[in-house]
Amino acid sequence: MDLIIGQVLPYLAVVVFIGGVTWRIWRWMIPRIVHNIALSPFPGSWSAAIVWMLWQLATFWNLLKFDRSLWLGAWFMHIPLFLMLGGHITAFYTLGLQFHLAAPGIITPKLSLNMSDWIGTVLGIIFLLALVYLLGRRLVNEQTRAISSASDYVHLLLLIAIAVLGNLMRLFPEYHLGYAPVREYLAGLFLFNPQPLPEHAIFITKYTLVMVLMIIFPFSKLMHSFGFFWERWIVNRPFAEPARGLPGARLQLRK
Amino acid sequence: MSEVTGLRQPKRASVDLFRKLGVEPVPDNEKVQMAIRHIDEFRFKVRSFVMAMESCVKCGACAENCHTYLGTRDPNNIPAGRVDLIRKAYKRYFTVQGQLFPGLVGAQDLDLETIEKWYSYFYQCSECRRCAHVCPFGLDTAEVTMIGRQILFWLGIGPQLHTATAGAILRTGNHMGLTKAGIIDTLEFLAEEIEEDYEGLKVEFPVDKPDSDILYIPSSADFMLNANTLKGAAMFFKYVGANWTISSEITEAGNFGYLMDQNRIQREMVTRLMEQATKLGAKKIVWGECGHGWRAAKMYVSTVSDLPASRRIPITHIHDEIEAYIKAGLLELDPKRNDRKVTLHDPCNYARACGHADNMRVIMNAVVPKGAFVEMKPNREANFCCGGGSGILFDDPDMYQFRIQASNKKAEQVRETEADTLCAPCSICKAQLYPMVKEHKLPVEVVGLVDLVGHALVFRD
Ligand code: HEM
Ligand code: SF4
Ligand code: SF4
Repeated sequence: MDLIIGQVLPYLAVVVFIGGVTWRIWRWMIPRIVHNIALSPFPGSWSAAIVWMLWQLATFWNLLKFDRSLWLGAWFMHIPLFLMLGGHITAFYTLGLQFHLAAPGIITPKLSLNMSDWIGTVLGIIFLLALVYLLGRRLVNEQTRAISSASDYVHLLLLIAIAVLGNLMRLFPEYHLGYAPVREYLAGLFLFNPQPLPEHAIFITKYTLVMVLMIIFPFSKLMHSFGFFWERWIVNRPFAEPARGLPGARLQLRK
Repeated sequence: MSEVTGLRQPKRASVDLFRKLGVEPVPDNEKVQMAIRHIDEFRFKVRSFVMAMESCVKCGACAENCHTYLGTRDPNNIPAGRVDLIRKAYKRYFTVQGQLFPGLVGAQDLDLETIEKWYSYFYQCSECRRCAHVCPFGLDTAEVTMIGRQILFWLGIGPQLHTATAGAILRTGNHMGLTKAGIIDTLEFLAEEIEEDYEGLKVEFPVDKPDSDILYIPSSADFMLNANTLKGAAMFFKYVGANWTISSEITEAGNFGYLMDQNRIQREMVTRLMEQATKLGAKKIVWGECGHGWRAAKMYVSTVSDLPASRRIPITHIHDEIEAYIKAGLLELDPKRNDRKVTLHDPCNYARACGHADNMRVIMNAVVPKGAFVEMKPNREANFCCGGGSGILFDDPDMYQFRIQASNKKAEQVRETEADTLCAPCSICKAQLYPMVKEHKLPVEVVGLVDLVGHALVFRD
């Protein structure tokens, strides 16, 4: 089991994830943006367009404006998700000292560890609640149910499972694992110097589910995380208006 | 309901009509295979189509924001549901997950029944793009509707209304099939009406006048249904002393090709436009009140046409010009002449595709008294479609009933304003709103925006 889940599957998952995402995006780049189908009012420039996209990304503005109850679940699911993704990378890399390293004069190593714990725990709980809310909504909301297929539920259940296992490790000392053993194992993978998987059933299960998620990612609607940018690139772009004024008319606009 | 399919479908065009447009209808047993082939080609051509196929998360935010779903409560009228009519097949044939686990990801083989559903639901969508406006990713269902309709057209399936209109375009260059004699006749009559109504004001309507600086493109419907819009435009041109003309070869601001056959008929109209503009020596083309047609001109001409004229002759909308003249203080307008309580329906293509939300308001505020203009809610780019967008102005009983249902939301919006005048500066909106107002018993008169301008202009000499 250590060999398959610990040493083979991780490489497979990374290859499928990166290869699959690249392939999907490669395919998106083949068809052209045939006509300018930007949504108006047009942004005044490309920088304004990009600011608008980032604003949409940070606030989920359209949902906030047009579907408040969905926004609640969507925003409180995604923002913790983004933060926790960043958190996982930095916390495992620095063993929880990321805040100390970012602001050494202000934050002590101990405080950094506490912050990492607290922020991670709180985000993890919000994330889970939001996911459950989204699942409930998908089951209850008649319109959403009408357009859902089985995979839409599977994605949510998979994320819920990952979140539950993560929270178990956070909240119950007897299931706690800590950054160090995981880092040792991951470093082995990165350096092609195999280290055994930490012997911890919950960790191994969660870790396996994450790899499953990475493998299905390129073949599922989870590609919307990239699709967001590719679609907004089409519909949020500037347009140069032709000059006004009627050539040859008696009354002329002043230039 | 169609008796054969049990679906809500518009009356079909005959095989003969399709042949006249250069399309040989595909026999039933080959339709599915041909449709798949066309989808396969489109996925290598049109990125907006691919993104709509591959990036939807089925969140359902679009549902309550589409007037057709609000009016019918039919899940296939949820924008994401409408896209699914193609997406299920797209997944089945062109994605790994759909080939391996069709049941899990909602992939399905294409069959004739589904193609019949395309014909039903792609002709209930009005290509209004409110779904794109609200979707958190901006996914544009109208792009899918357009491709769905194009494939149907190539299979030999299309509404009598659109297909016959395309035939009229090839014959005459306009939707109504107006001939040059008919055009001149109507315009002479309009000139007389202006003379009577505005104290002997003499306005000319030049037709095919060589060496014209401005080529004006009116909607052909203005000749029959919305004459005041045409009169208003002529009065504006007279006021500013423009050297303008109308071309009898392209008397059409709309473009039904854009709505059904972008590949051929849409191009045909643009080609005609460029030829006529060149022949008449136009330095600028000015567009009349028509929403989809204006989008087809403003946003599509430069990519539909390679003709040099399309690079040299700028195209603007008459609202753009009127707005600029108002802002420059060059028009004397008497708002008291339009003393009525008016609300503005933002045509979808103006507000969401062409950036016109501002200019219409500048004009409106200049031509009606202070406080007479009330906004409906929501407005501007969040406005709801009139229910007739993309030319779904069918009058077979079942489709007519659908049009009225699809305008439920509009009727509610208008009623809340308590206005007596509904300004809808688009030919299709007008054609939809005349019956809508009647069926929903709204006490409003439907008018264009240029109508109000013409009426308020103060001529002194
Ligand atoms: C640029 C990054 C991303 C953006 C802008 C984004 C945006 C959105 C939006 C607007 C929705 C619809 C609202 C909702 O149903 O919650 C959504 C749904 C969803 N997103 Fe994301 N997302 C991103 C990244 C991710 C990632 C990385 C994942 C997971 C690995 C993810 C998982 C999901 C799931 C599972 C749903 C469906 C929720 C449901 O069923 O209701 N998203 N996303
Ligand atoms: S709002 Fe956009 S992402 Fe959500 S279901 Fe509709 S089309 Fe799909
Ligand atoms: S374009 Fe308009 S009518 Fe068509 S699905 Fe979108 S909101 Fe509905």
